[in-house]
Amino acid sequence: MGLQRRWAGALIAVITVVFLAALLIVSSQSNRPTETATSLGTVTVTDLLGRQVKVRAPVRRVILGEGRLLYVVAALDTEDPIQRIVGWRKDLIQADPDTYARYRGKFPKIADIPTFGGFEDGTFDIEQAITQQPDVIVLNVEAQRAIDDTRYVEKLAALGIPVVYVDFRHAPMENTEPTLRLIGKLFGKEARAEQLIAFRTQEIKRVTDIIAAHQPARPKVFIERIGGYTTDCCLSFGDENFGKFVELAGGRNIAKDIISGTFGQLNPEQIIAANPDHVVVTSANWEAYVPGGYWVGLGPGADPGEAARKLEFYPRRPAYTGITANKDRAFHAVWHQFYNSPYQFVAIQQLAKWFHPRFFADLDPEATFRELHERFLPIAYEPGYFATLDRSDK
Amino acid sequence: MTSAAQTSDAGQRHAYRVLVRRKQRLLGLLVVLLLGSVVLDLALGPARYGLDEVVQALLRPDSASAQVRVVMWDIRLPVALMAVAVGAALSLAGAQMQTILNNPLASPFTLGISAAASFGAALGLAFGVKLLPAVAEYVVPLNAFVMAMLAAFLIYLLSRRRGVTAETLVLLGIALVFTFNALLALTQYFASEQAVAAVVFWTMGSLTKATWPKLAITCSVILVMLPIFVQRAWALTALRLGEDKAASFGVDVPRLRLQTLMMVSLLAAFPVAFVGTIGFVGLVGPHIARMLIGEDQRFFLPASLLSGALLLSLSSVVSKTLIPGAIFPIGIVTSLIGVPFFIALILGKRRSW
Repeated sequence: MGLQRRWAGALIAVITVVFLAALLIVSSQSNRPTETATSLGTVTVTDLLGRQVKVRAPVRRVILGEGRLLYVVAALDTEDPIQRIVGWRKDLIQADPDTYARYRGKFPKIADIPTFGGFEDGTFDIEQAITQQPDVIVLNVEAQRAIDDTRYVEKLAALGIPVVYVDFRHAPMENTEPTLRLIGKLFGKEARAEQLIAFRTQEIKRVTDIIAAHQPARPKVFIERIGGYTTDCCLSFGDENFGKFVELAGGRNIAKDIISGTFGQLNPEQIIAANPDHVVVTSANWEAYVPGGYWVGLGPGADPGEAARKLEFYPRRPAYTGITANKDRAFHAVWHQFYNSPYQFVAIQQLAKWFHPRFFADLDPEATFRELHERFLPIAYEPGYFATLDRSDK
Repeated sequence: MTSAAQTSDAGQRHAYRVLVRRKQRLLGLLVVLLLGSVVLDLALGPARYGLDEVVQALLRPDSASAQVRVVMWDIRLPVALMAVAVGAALSLAGAQMQTILNNPLASPFTLGISAAASFGAALGLAFGVKLLPAVAEYVVPLNAFVMAMLAAFLIYLLSRRRGVTAETLVLLGIALVFTFNALLALTQYFASEQAVAAVVFWTMGSLTKATWPKLAITCSVILVMLPIFVQRAWALTALRLGEDKAASFGVDVPRLRLQTLMMVSLLAAFPVAFVGTIGFVGLVGPHIARMLIGEDQRFFLPASLLSGALLLSLSSVVSKTLIPGAIFPIGIVTSLIGVPFFIALILGKRRSW
């Protein structure tokens, strides 16, 4: 009996010690956010899904649902773009290794940022996210469905971690500005964001003003999406993203009325029937996926001669037989990642210059991109984002 | 008495002859329908050419304009003929799977061949893995093919063990399907978003990948396999009466089953490697044939071939006319066309499979 009581006493003592220790650990952990919270003000932001979200800003620790948000973050936190990033998805490293390598060269610590995989946009390990104690999690709008299913937003809200949704991909022309403004507000860099928005708006107007003033005849354009990634032909864009860029640049996207969403595939024959005046291939260096494939290896620092050489493959595809673009050698390639980046205005300028060389003789997209780098980005500009067939022999 | 026996014998012979003639007529009908479908497939397309232009480009390509020639010879013909070849190969493979496994749910993909092929393709699309050296254009098909053959080889090894019955084979196949599906999901988990999109697109199947060399390879596989199946038609028919009965007729059942398995694997692996997974044809083609024509392999074999080819050829027509100018993934169309027809046949006939 006495022995039993002594055991019970020991047990209670152990439990108490464990409990106290746990309490101590928990309280010491929760100390950090409350300390920082005192120095932060709370702002209410409206995200790209129209949700009103309260965030303690400026945020110090942020998780990026897509690594390619670095394109924006680097323009706001130019001196140290990775200071706030405590976690991100691997997509930048995988889909745009050339840009990543340049940032890694300048900021070696970028390699230490915890990454999360996940093939469906926006899936991430909520525990991993919580342990990073972010002030905010920035997700792309397409993550919403997956996130809604898991009720992550509610669970994270219970821990005081807000989630905001942004977009560069689905409706880039409408959503890029609000996204820049939103992230600017979260980072406490509103003025910087406004400067970038002003620069972007001004550079787009250099195209749209001239198109509006002269109303030139719109050449028919076919955009071949992810050229060389698969051997299957004729993936393209509907009336969004590059489809919209083409229209803004004074072209007519031949897939506009055929593909109902943002992405789709055309019948190769349809291209022959539509007889486009220009073919624009979106491509990038996909050596890691399709070794020796027909992709055009565009991106920062790409070899222009090699890009032009690889572009020569495209006029020979059956789908482009006998079309005007083939007779005129009007085949162009553009860096695919413009489709998911706030720098898409540079692509719009280049498209306009290809479609209407007469009107845009003094527009220099390379200079625009260089200026963007010099004014807003920590890395130096390296050309290599565009290629076009040599027409001198025609 | 002898005369009575003779008359009934003659009557039976007559009835048999009528039956054979009816089956021959049905086969003829299938051929006509298939030809009609192929002609439709060749005549329709977003580039609206008149029938005379189409015929001219086909018969005298040199006299047609370069554009019409390319549309007909490089775009429409490979796709239309690939639909026929792939449909025929998969349906034939499915027919023999159902026969040797004695299972109405068997199809060329029951043994995990398509799951394995998808995994092989995904390895190439997501990580640029080359399982065998190949030029860029053939990396993905070759990967798919190698994996499909690996699955077939696994089944071969397992089925050589003692006491392996048709049921065990089906179960082993299901185990392989799940294994390769898990591996495929794993690949997708680690892949980039473009790679995932490409893999998903690949698994939906697409005839636009068809080229003349791929068509030639698919056709030669059929041409090699078909005579072997024809030669074994009686043994396979006997197998449908039950394994014991077939054995009592002198059929070496395990041997026949194993060899047929390997032939079916080849027959399914090539089309899948070239056009992605269009699985439904292999399941339904043989059922349609069986309901139309019965079990006798001499008729069942060509009927399966024809009904599979017809189903996929019609799907090809629909996939390009559904949204003019766009391409609708053929795998989806095949299922959506085939299922209502299939259900109608099942409910209408009320017979065991």
